[in-house]
Amino acid sequence: MDIRQLITMLCVLFLLSGCMPNEYKFENRTEEDAGKAEELLKKDDRVKGVAALFHDDHLLVGIRVKTFSRFNKRDIASEIEKQLKEEYPDLAVFVSADSKILNETNKLILKKDEKGLKKQIHHLISLAEEET
Amino acid sequence: MDKEKYAKLEEGITPKPPLLKNCIKAFLVGGTICLIAQFIALFYMTFFDFTERTASNPTVATMIFISMLLTGFGAYKKVGQIGGAGGAVPITGFGNAVVSAAIEHRSEGFVLGVGGNIFKLAGSVIVFGVFSAFIVALIKTILVKMGVISW
Repeated sequence: MDIRQLITMLCVLFLLSGCMPNEYKFENRTEEDAGKAEELLKKDDRVKGVAALFHDDHLLVGIRVKTFSRFNKRDIASEIEKQLKEEYPDLAVFVSADSKILNETNKLILKKDEKGLKKQIHHLISLAEEET
Repeated sequence: MDKEKYAKLEEGITPKPPLLKNCIKAFLVGGTICLIAQFIALFYMTFFDFTERTASNPTVATMIFISMLLTGFGAYKKVGQIGGAGGAVPITGFGNAVVSAAIEHRSEGFVLGVGGNIFKLAGSVIVFGVFSAFIVALIKTILVKMGVISW
């Protein structure tokens, strides 16, 4: 195998390994029933990845929409937020299609640390609401 | 020799520009610049408090900074030679236009030379951008006031 083939193969490997798995993650740390949200998000065929975190009185949801739905991802997020608010009237629901929110929610789910979690959730929401 | 005859002669002699080849080159070079910018945006999103929406501002600033450095070192003209419009249309082309004008007129002094000529190439872009933004905002304001659309 000459060096060019090797470089091409490495490039392809790097590119493919960059593909993030599209998964649905739901972490429930409240008394609420997470099944309703799970069902709602899984049957929406414009959404291909979800990270949802139920904590105290907050529901933080980061979604990844399919490539060609990205043009109106804000509308999709606000639509889902409205539906989730109907399902969970007691929780403060926040849905965002921004990849930053998805990544950070995944990190919060993995962290398992309850301390300062609420502060971080508030920080994320304020970040997502920034205009410029 | 009349006008038509001359035009015919000129058409025969002038070499045909390889249009498709140029287009492909411009596509690849412009795409590579945008790929680099995408990685920079990802960097700002991963390590700083920027979202997809807000990461565009520091990314644009970084890309302009890089293209200014490359222009100063004489590397950006090679990109422009290969890529053509692919190197000129992204924001890096704007940085190149500003800095190359500044470098060109450095010998005439800092005020009348650099200061007076730095926006010679890119100034029209800024004026056109500001002016068209003003017009669009005016139209939108009128439409919102009339109740046709909302903000």
